[in-house]
Amino acid sequence: MAKYEEVSVRGYDEFCQAVSERKGKDIFAYFSGDKDDQGKSWCPDCVKAEPVVRGEMAHLPEGSVFIYCQVGERAYWKNPNNDFKKTLKLSGVPTLLRYGTPQKLVEEECFKADLVKMMFTED
Amino acid sequence: MAALCRGRHRWKKTNCLYVPTRNLTGKYDYDLVVIGGGSGGLACSKEAQFGQKVAVLDYVDPTVKGTKWGLGGTCVNVGCIPKKLIHQAALFGTALKDAKKYGWQISEPVCHDWATMMEGVQNHVRSLNWGHRVQLQDKKVKYLNFKGSLVDEHTVKGLTKAGKETILTAKNIVIVTGGRPKYPTNIPGAVEHGITSDDMFWLKKSPGKTLVVGASYVALECAGFLTGIGLDTTVMVRSIALRGFDQQMAGLVTDYMETYGTKFAWKCVPKRVDKLSSGALQVTWTDTQTGGEHQDTYDSVLWAVGRAPETKALGLDKLGVKLNQETGKIVLATDESTSVPNIYALGDIGEGRPELTPTAIKAGKLLARRLAGQSAELMNYDNVPTTVFTPLEYGCVGLSEEEAEKRHGKDNIEVYHAFYKPLEFTVAERDASQCYIKVVCKRFGDQTILGLHFTGPNAGEVMQGFAMGFQCGATYSHLSQTVGIHPTCAEEVVKVNITKHSGLDATVTGC
Repeated sequence: MAKYEEVSVRGYDEFCQAVSERKGKDIFAYFSGDKDDQGKSWCPDCVKAEPVVRGEMAHLPEGSVFIYCQVGERAYWKNPNNDFKKTLKLSGVPTLLRYGTPQKLVEEECFKADLVKMMFTED
Repeated sequence: MAALCRGRHRWKKTNCLYVPTRNLTGKYDYDLVVIGGGSGGLACSKEAQFGQKVAVLDYVDPTVKGTKWGLGGTCVNVGCIPKKLIHQAALFGTALKDAKKYGWQISEPVCHDWATMMEGVQNHVRSLNWGHRVQLQDKKVKYLNFKGSLVDEHTVKGLTKAGKETILTAKNIVIVTGGRPKYPTNIPGAVEHGITSDDMFWLKKSPGKTLVVGASYVALECAGFLTGIGLDTTVMVRSIALRGFDQQMAGLVTDYMETYGTKFAWKCVPKRVDKLSSGALQVTWTDTQTGGEHQDTYDSVLWAVGRAPETKALGLDKLGVKLNQETGKIVLATDESTSVPNIYALGDIGEGRPELTPTAIKAGKLLARRLAGQSAELMNYDNVPTTVFTPLEYGCVGLSEEEAEKRHGKDNIEVYHAFYKPLEFTVAERDASQCYIKVVCKRFGDQTILGLHFTGPNAGEVMQGFAMGFQCGATYSHLSQTVGIHPTCAEEVVKVNITKHSGLDATVTGC
């Protein structure tokens, strides 16, 4: 049995839905630019960070939730008024955060396996 | 195995195998172990790169009420940061009242919600805890949430919350454990029913009607912001306010607070605190001037009667680290070294050091560089500016008037002063009687500035630039040659020209 639950969502509404269905849980969310049919994201940093983040997922705490969220196409993301930027206060992709806490890793910080592991393992 | 266990070898448990942590060349686990992850400790450990192996131990003993917090020390969690944010919340309250005079149609009554404010403040504090954590990791500093104590001059014991022990050896050790608020020792009910600043910044519910006991800047700043957000607040002062600060300025600060609604019980000493069946706290106190006893009820009692250095659990006496008998702080040389080689200390725990974040940070960085052999620069503790964030802020650098008189003689100093009115107060119809500037200079020769004092809005912002001038040895003539920026409060500093000696009215008239 998996220690944590992995959920895949696309767009802001689906993200909020996934969160609201899991109230009270320790939720980690990874935001990435949309992947094309070949599975490649328009965001080069996201392409670089994903294997690093996935490589540390074995350290996710028991009972936690990992939401993989594709935010949208490049044009949507570039708009400063998109819901992720306005409401969730995301400043860039990739972003890895612990929902409901100030813990987050943004862009190049996601390339560092030790920082990702730190977020998954420390309180 | 046992035969090898002798002398200076230290053993670290790894499963069932005992591994020596100091090899035959005498190498240690770490080049530097820092005990305390506050302003000084974090600055020191982050600066200590240059290929050094560094560990920082940070641990917070919960308060009597159970309050605890994350990495970053007093400043980040229960000091400067939340204080300034809540002070800002209170200033907004005053600004809202002023705003009506400036044309804003604000419907009364305007109320303040403690929980909303605290959520914002605590979110920011937590983001700082996380930011520090990321920085330590980034700079390859090992962070351990252990309570550190000294075993010998190269060995530190770390204790987890669960009581698990770890031993670390280090070439150099820096003690940066700071201090915690004191509770009064002879007042029944003080510990059980009162709180300190450690609790105040983490309260989930508003403290309500509050009695603040003490007259330090902590007491006055807290009482100031509580009044500002609309709470019934009383300050109980045993003797004088802001001991150590210029007393004329201290009087202006408290006068302003009294005008703006903070109650003061001067020359009063609490005797006991009892909890009533309603949950309210009944405080009995003595008015030392009349001898009379009084009582009143409060929702909260905040003790702001001083801070004690965190040295008890460190094991310093075992090592012979010299402490100042009176204060309990660690005696330090100018290079932050203690009486024991390889053990250093800085920040609030150091005897004779200012209890300020910027000095701890700077001293920490310089020490790290010296220990790595990168520099010989010592910390300069002179000319340190500071600001008290009471409702009327007070910023200063250099000597108080009384200290200048003591050192140079009353006839050898010249005090330029001015009462001014911030332009913003005019339309708002606000009383500016306590907005004041004082420049204490040598009377003869160059008229070097010995001390600069300013009460008014944004005093910290005003003082920072003047502190640089002070550091450069500014004289009265430098000051008067500087053209003011108009219209500001700060320009009044460069325009001071009335001396106390002249006896003339020091009130500035409009331009």
